[in-house]
Amino acid sequence: MPRLFRILNAIYLMNSRLLNACEGRASDRMPFLPAIYEQKAWFVHSTPSIVCRDPELFTQALLAEFEIVRPDALTIGIDVYNVEAEAVGARVIYYDGEDPSIPAVDPDGTIFHGEEDIVNLRLPDPQKDGRMPLHLGVARRVLAKLGNELPVRGAVTGPFSLAAHLVGAEHLFMLTITHPALVKKLLRFSLEVAKEYSAAYVKVGCGVVIFDSQASPEILSPAMYRTFVLEPTKRLIDFIHSLGLRHVPLIIGGNTTKILDAYLETGANNILCDFSADVERFREQCSVTGRAFRRNIDTADFLTLSREDLIARAKKCIDESRGYPGFIFGTGVVPFGTPVGHFAILRNVLHEYAR
Amino acid sequence: MRELQDLADALINGYADRVSKLTNELLETGVEPQTILNEGLIAGMTVVGEKMRTGEMYLPEVLQSASAMHASLKLLKPHLVKEGVESRGKILMGTVKGDMHDIGKNLVGIMLQGAGFELVDLGLNVPPQKFVEAIGMHQPAVVGLSAMLTTTMLNMKTTIEAINNAGLRSKVKIIIGGAPVSQKFADDIGADGYARDAVKAVDKVKELLAA
Repeated sequence: MPRLFRILNAIYLMNSRLLNACEGRASDRMPFLPAIYEQKAWFVHSTPSIVCRDPELFTQALLAEFEIVRPDALTIGIDVYNVEAEAVGARVIYYDGEDPSIPAVDPDGTIFHGEEDIVNLRLPDPQKDGRMPLHLGVARRVLAKLGNELPVRGAVTGPFSLAAHLVGAEHLFMLTITHPALVKKLLRFSLEVAKEYSAAYVKVGCGVVIFDSQASPEILSPAMYRTFVLEPTKRLIDFIHSLGLRHVPLIIGGNTTKILDAYLETGANNILCDFSADVERFREQCSVTGRAFRRNIDTADFLTLSREDLIARAKKCIDESRGYPGFIFGTGVVPFGTPVGHFAILRNVLHEYAR
Repeated sequence: MRELQDLADALINGYADRVSKLTNELLETGVEPQTILNEGLIAGMTVVGEKMRTGEMYLPEVLQSASAMHASLKLLKPHLVKEGVESRGKILMGTVKGDMHDIGKNLVGIMLQGAGFELVDLGLNVPPQKFVEAIGMHQPAVVGLSAMLTTTMLNMKTTIEAINNAGLRSKVKIIIGGAPVSQKFADDIGADGYARDAVKAVDKVKELLAA
């Protein structure tokens, strides 16, 4: 059966709006990809801590996301940066009862405290360790239901962000200056973890989306991005391409204009142009290199603007890139509890205004 | 004074050991701790803040400088207390409920301490009620709320509402900071101010207390 899902999803992908955008072909309208992770739990009236550990609810949440939001792709992931770190041994905090907080790696539960710990790091088995098997199982179920409707992608943590979750972000940032060789060793390990998990997703018939927002130039300098992050990311994307996936998105939040050249050198086929980034430069450089980019509406605007103002903001966002076939319309991460009607506002703008 | 400039330079470069050594040497030669603080540490961190703003320094380098400043402050603090150097005001800070990110908050805290403010740090994942209780206990002039996620930024509003409901809102100024928030968001949730980075946070606190 997985082989059948893979074939169906591959056939659908050939004609999806998202693939059209990645290959510079026009569609009936721009693709719509709001960033929905913890909000998935809201769709099934539960909490992120419960849904991310319950394969049945997790699957229902994705199906509900499809029905309510009608996005042009689904992403398997609620607490996307935790899964690999937990599978390697980091401790994740979950919240009880109705607490809607997002699970997070316990700052006291990281697994790398000093150079001697590097020998103890072991590659996880995606079929056995942590919640990797749960995520793969959810991917199979969602593919079975929706594999011929839209692309389904597994969330994979990029090498630098995974290292930050294994070591602790502040510790890792300090190590980039005090122990750069050690950071490179850690990144080689993170790369292998990401490769294992990506391969497992591809095997069940999914696409893959890489998330690496700890490598944002809001945090790391462009020079540091090149020194530490570019090579392992490029190797990861090359590897995923070698598995037969033609299109690999790489999501780095914040204003990434300063690293746009390196961002494109990773080989990612579609990238994120967050609301604070220079959309004109993204359009120019993506046009030259034949890439797609997702432009986000600021989450705060999404939440706080009146209906009329939100429509005007969405139209402005669309107008900025109208005519560029590689444009994908999205939002920043949608907070848990966002009223479902908000999605209809944006979708209607797309239907009426972005054809 | 040459030695104070050396201290500031070492701080800018993030050399914690050298900053500690120079701090001890300045104290031994009789330089006033307040002078060391103002003309060495604060002068250095002001440059760090400016370099961060202009993109010459990024978080890893700033963390090195902050760590050096922390080391020096530990040496200076007993002398500042002994000499009766008064705090410029008490600041209560925390990362709001559900948020486990504290790098930004910690940087702001170090900068505020360096600028002569007394800091009460509630840590991360702080429920609204804990802020309310801490305001009652510590009676700060300013409360700083930090959040790094779009979901947790909404808990800033909940926290301000809790402070309001406890009848404490008029007793404190509230500033917010963190990647997903903005001046507009601060206005929307009823905060008194927003700061994009650690240097601006210090400026904003000074501005609010002067008003």
